Amino acid sequence: MEPIPKTEEQPAVTPTERLAYSVQESADLLGVNYFSVYRLIQRGKLKVCRALRGKLLVPRAELLKLLGTQ
Amino acid sequence: MSNRFDDRRPTVLEEQAHAEASQHFAEHLKQFPASREAVERLERNIAKSTLAANMAAAKPTPKENIIQVDDDGQWHKSVDLMDNICLCHRPITGGAEYAVVEHFPARGTNEIWNRGWNAMEVLKVFAQEQRQALQIWTEDMTAQVKEFLVEKYPGQDMSRVADAVMRRFTHSVSHEEVQKQNRGHSIRV
Repeated sequence: MEPIPKTEEQPAVTPTERLAYSVQESADLLGVNYFSVYRLIQRGKLKVCRALRGKLLVPRAELLKLLGTQ
Repeated sequence: MSNRFDDRRPTVLEEQAHAEASQHFAEHLKQFPASREAVERLERNIAKSTLAANMAAAKPTPKENIIQVDDDGQWHKSVDLMDNICLCHRPITGGAEYAVVEHFPARGTNEIWNRGWNAMEVLKVFAQEQRQALQIWTEDMTAQVKEFLVEKYPGQDMSRVADAVMRRFTHSVSHEEVQKQNRGHSIRV
């Protein structure tokens, strides 16, 4: 009986990284309160986009930029 | 506030939606009044903070009150304004310069929010910007509440629920304020 050929190891499945976060998610990720995030938005330190109905979304890249990791 | 749905009694579905939205946005409902009160306190204390800053600028600053601002040298802390934000000053020829400086714990940096030669003007501009931030929050909250209700109750008119949640959001009082009011009404023996 022929040995069963080993299947190629599949790379670990990484969950798709989110492209943007809500303000509360951003606040949780940054470890600050909600007002701090809205103040950063007001000040232009965090550039946001608006989803349907006007909900604010903070791009992941903006959060990384704020933290100085990008 | 007592009559949440104003013109007619809420339906069972509206009551349920209101309860769900209130629970979903509980953290917003808790944090917003505290932030609004911090801004109101800031506005109320502008004259007092200006005086304190002017007095601080007129005398030598203790070493522990020196703040290093990114790319802008040293400033002297005059007055705490909000969490991680203070009014600072530094001597210049013929007087003092003032700035609102924010500390970013995530990065460990200090950054200037706005600056000028008149402490009161600096504070007024800062307070105005805090008001704008509260406005952005309110608009975002309105959008989030609508989105939440549309997703949870597709095809249903939940506009009265959205209005009621937003009324609660903008008119709510912080826990701290409630405690203060209660203390004021307590019976003294």
